Amino acid sequence: MTTLNQIGFLVRKDLRIELRKRESLISMAFFGVLVLVTLSIAVGGGRRVPPETGAGILWVAALFSGVLGLGRVFARERENGCVAALLVSPMNPGSLYAAKALVNLTLMVASQIVLVPVFFALFGQGLAGGLAAVVLPLLLLDVAFSSAGTLLSAVAAGTRRNEVLLPILLFPLLLPVVVLGVKASGAALQGKAGGGLGAVEPLAAFCVIYSVAGYFLFPFAAREV
Amino acid sequence: MMPRLSLTLSILAALLVPAAAAAVFFHAPVEQTMGVVQKIFYFHLALALSAFLSFAVACVSGILYLLRRERRFDVAGAASVEIGVVFTTLVLITGSLWGRSIWNTWWTWDPRLTTSLILWLIYASYLILRSAVEEEGRRATFCAVIAVAGFLDVPIVFLSARMFRSIHPTIITSDSVGLEPPMVRTLLLCLVAFLVLWAVLFRLRCSLLRNEARVRDLQFELER
Repeated sequence: MTTLNQIGFLVRKDLRIELRKRESLISMAFFGVLVLVTLSIAVGGGRRVPPETGAGILWVAALFSGVLGLGRVFARERENGCVAALLVSPMNPGSLYAAKALVNLTLMVASQIVLVPVFFALFGQGLAGGLAAVVLPLLLLDVAFSSAGTLLSAVAAGTRRNEVLLPILLFPLLLPVVVLGVKASGAALQGKAGGGLGAVEPLAAFCVIYSVAGYFLFPFAAREV
Repeated sequence: MMPRLSLTLSILAALLVPAAAAAVFFHAPVEQTMGVVQKIFYFHLALALSAFLSFAVACVSGILYLLRRERRFDVAGAASVEIGVVFTTLVLITGSLWGRSIWNTWWTWDPRLTTSLILWLIYASYLILRSAVEEEGRRATFCAVIAVAGFLDVPIVFLSARMFRSIHPTIITSDSVGLEPPMVRTLLLCLVAFLVLWAVLFRLRCSLLRNEARVRDLQFELER
């Protein structure tokens, strides 16, 4: 089995489980919408928000709904000793990382297909940029979130307080991503062509650094789960 | 009994830190525009550099632990993160005090302030993780992973923080040091004093953590 086959196999397995149980996707989308509605009421209900605030609101919703799904991605394997089975199988533990990151990425993108239209329905007035403006920054957020998050989900899954520890460990690490992403999508929502492109490069660098780090560090953490 | 090196370093730190404080107050001249508030800068910079050193040490010990699985690397990582978090806290507090009187605000989203705050949050979460895992081997592995992952964030944090405009003074650039000679001497003394203090704290915390682990080993053997 080549590495790509292994990854494809693992991703299919996880997505099949998700399709049958639907335990993550519905709660992720629902919680994200809930955050958007809460924030819409919190800023005064139907009031126009400046583009950067709008971008911030979208990113908070995306992060919070993402962390909900992330907790399950790895914790699922702890039941019935699945991690041990995966680690003794003739499979590179790095492929396990790549597969889990891809599954999480798929879940995030899928839940945002619901989130983004709801965001524009609630906050769309007064925003010059449309749907297309936030697609690239959001995709980069999803990749950054999945690459760093999958590594940390293995760490958090090995503790007794998985649900509490995961956001505590992940959010500080993701703060620069939030800064960069809000700048990039804020400029785009203002309708500036090419605005915020300066933030795209460091965002991509974050994705690359954490994908490589995750590939090498994940096996150490997964062995302890 | 303390090992001789720790004892020597402790005595040295006990002499150097008050000497540094004395130099700040009596040797360094009062800055022309900022007045006496500027004197906080000497401790601020020395603390910031020592804090950054801690996180670098934690990252290197993390890598070494993952490769060799020896207890001493876990202990070194834990000790340096503890000191680093304390020092970063002091950096943020001294910076805030200075900023309140010079910038007229406790906090601003300047690159260096943002970087310090994010580093503080990352390594504070490391300490929370450390207290949440009981089993030694597992805790050491997880902490090593977080120490490495946290340090990898530093360049990105700094790049991202550049998105905010900077009002933080840059004193030392590659071509010049914007300080009077007595100020430079004071700064160097503060730096040495805090590095020695760092070394003392590091050695003491390491030996304490090692003894803790040894006691647990003995307890484990007794129960068996």
